[in-house]
Amino acid sequence: MIRLMYRLILVLIITALLASCGAPTAEPDTTGTTESPATEAGTTPETTEATPDAAATPEVGVTPETTEATPDAEAAPDAGAGAADLSGEIPVGFVFSLTGGAALYGTSQRNAVEMAVEEINESGMLGDATIRAFIEDDAGRPETATTVFETLINQNNVVAIIGPTLSNAALSADPIAQEAGVPVVAVSNTAAGITEIGDYIFRVSLPESMVIPNTVEVTKEELGYDRVAIMYANDDAFSRSGYEVFRQALQDQGVEIATEQTFSTNDTDFSPQLTQIRNIDPAPEALIVSALAQPAAGILTQASQLGLDLPVIGGNGFNSPQLSELAGEAADGVIAGAAWIVTNTNPRNREFVEAYNERYGNNPDQFAAQAYAGTYILAQAIANAGSAERDAIRDALDQIENLDTVLGNFSFENREPQHTPVVQQLQDGQFQVFP
Amino acid sequence: MEEFLQPLLNGQQWINGLSQGAVYALFALGFTLVFGILGLINLAHGANYMWGAYIGWVLVTSTGMPALVALPLAMVASGLMAVLLERLAFRPLRALSRGSSVLWVGFIILLIAFVMGGPRAARLAVGAVGILVMLFGMVLDARGYGPVHERDVPHLSPMISSLGASAILVFLAQAQFGAEQQRYPFGPLQSTRFQLGEAASISLVQLLILLSALVLVVGLHLLIQRSRVGRAIRSISWSERTARLLGVDVDAVVARTFFVSGALAGAAGVLIGLLTNAIRPDMGVGIAILGLTAIVVGGMGSIIGAIVGGLIIGLLQTFSVAFISSEFRDAIVFALLLLVLFFRPSGIFGRSSATRA
Repeated sequence: MIRLMYRLILVLIITALLASCGAPTAEPDTTGTTESPATEAGTTPETTEATPDAAATPEVGVTPETTEATPDAEAAPDAGAGAADLSGEIPVGFVFSLTGGAALYGTSQRNAVEMAVEEINESGMLGDATIRAFIEDDAGRPETATTVFETLINQNNVVAIIGPTLSNAALSADPIAQEAGVPVVAVSNTAAGITEIGDYIFRVSLPESMVIPNTVEVTKEELGYDRVAIMYANDDAFSRSGYEVFRQALQDQGVEIATEQTFSTNDTDFSPQLTQIRNIDPAPEALIVSALAQPAAGILTQASQLGLDLPVIGGNGFNSPQLSELAGEAADGVIAGAAWIVTNTNPRNREFVEAYNERYGNNPDQFAAQAYAGTYILAQAIANAGSAERDAIRDALDQIENLDTVLGNFSFENREPQHTPVVQQLQDGQFQVFP
Repeated sequence: MEEFLQPLLNGQQWINGLSQGAVYALFALGFTLVFGILGLINLAHGANYMWGAYIGWVLVTSTGMPALVALPLAMVASGLMAVLLERLAFRPLRALSRGSSVLWVGFIILLIAFVMGGPRAARLAVGAVGILVMLFGMVLDARGYGPVHERDVPHLSPMISSLGASAILVFLAQAQFGAEQQRYPFGPLQSTRFQLGEAASISLVQLLILLSALVLVVGLHLLIQRSRVGRAIRSISWSERTARLLGVDVDAVVARTFFVSGALAGAAGVLIGLLTNAIRPDMGVGIAILGLTAIVVGGMGSIIGAIVGGLIIGLLQTFSVAFISSEFRDAIVFALLLLVLFFRPSGIFGRSSATRA
């Protein structure tokens, strides 16, 4: 009976919370990436020297001889120069949202890092030393993340922290690590202002401002459009900032914007906007949509009902299984950029996907891949530093360059990630590398 | 100038706006019927509409029946749901009988069955007990068993009570179907289009919406103007006391009115679900406000007013997106509301309270 009451109260609270939240938000990091992409992002594809993944981006896929880190030996990259000096257990903190609204993402992050830590400890990558993982839950709440950070830093004496899952939590908790001089590797935060917190904060997850220009470049090349229509949700920070990055990238590449149509995230009727787009003369050659999965699905189905037959290109909001569930066949052929794709044939990635599948019985998602890559990047930095000192690890992280990871060839530049994003297309409900 | 007027000359936007408006009109009709007879706003109407959409969806996805068959079934089911709602949330405030107390106990048992854990069989058993108790309560009421305490509650109470009922209905939908969006399976309804001239086309769903709105409106008109029930409804909306004195069974007529109102909401729910492919537990909130606006603009309690109000709002929404942008859509709709209230406080087809009905 008490359990029942508890359940009832819990459900009531959840209902109240849901009601007060309004729109169910699908993506965890919906806080905007509003920084202008013109400077840093526009140059991304060119600066990446080596793409081990020839299939994904053939036009930049010339692997120069300079990269020595070929995917040869097992999963383990080369042991750093100083790895032999290491011994004992090195405490590392991991902070993920294992409960609460973002639990779905936090759980796959935890799965990935548990696997990565085990592999690293077995491979001898750190010499005699092993990583001791402290995996903590922040419940997706900034205040909990702050407490967890303090405990990890002051009681567990961790040398570095990976996480937290959500940008909002990072914005509250990262300053504590910065203050204490503990390096933080963000593996899923894409909001603006994360690495600006200080010189101990690194980020592995590509922000939208770096993914979208690549999407525009690849699709323009492949589809040959010069004139597009844009639709975006103007009451949602995530969709709005995606739109701004798209507009900037389109302008940079000389694509004309025929019309901009807006809607609200909770809208269900998009026929007036789509009709306006259909009636433009001369007709646009592609439709760019910056929206979360639910409205995006509505746009796709109603566009096909109206007979609007344009290739549709979207941002990270499209990278949700909900899109093809809700839009069915209408979602076939949509194109979206992402930091990572499960079907990437890069050998390092194939090994990871296979091992993950064997261990957990399902495919990893982008969150798992980024957390896995982040753990290896940190381990490599510890090995290179040959020390378990926080400052030495920070300096070694700063030096990470052309490291072979599941995300591709990875470098830090000003503590921001540098690797080639992928462009993917939905085919029969599955994302495949585009083109 | 022609460039500027382009959206108005575009037949497609008229079709878009009219099909959206027809759904609003069906929804507003249910609102206005209950207002006409009880003089109160049933805030659970939006939840009824949402349940109509879900019932249709369950029928279509679980039995594979065509949406056209599911539509009338969903209308009947959501009509019955509205009748139950009236028993639970409105009638006890007018007069408390022993039957409605028993009904409430049964309803609480049913709610517990929804929330409790444990094996499926146990939950079904508890649910069945709840339904039996509820039926028993209805039988008690029907046989006039036990004393009836007439009540005179403050005017706002039934409205708040309907707000509570609405929250419970939304919660039940969330518990049953989850908070995420669902859609009707795609079929010929969505994919068949008829070309109308060069720039416009109408999909089968849109055609279905316009036709069923027309049929339902005509049917409702005949019901109100030509049938016995209609006469009773009109007499109650004129004066409940007089109707009672003349031997009209007010409770029965109120229940029938709620049935019709709920059926119209259910039809609107199924049709919008087919049109937009978006069924959500919170879908009733937005349309409740628009429906309320439609009946205030059209005139409270007026049937023609609800239809005109709904169509105006649908067209206004479409054209404000076409002419300006979605940012101003709601602002424009509510600016119309203020404008109408300024010039005609009782709405376009409204009568001042002195000459109602």
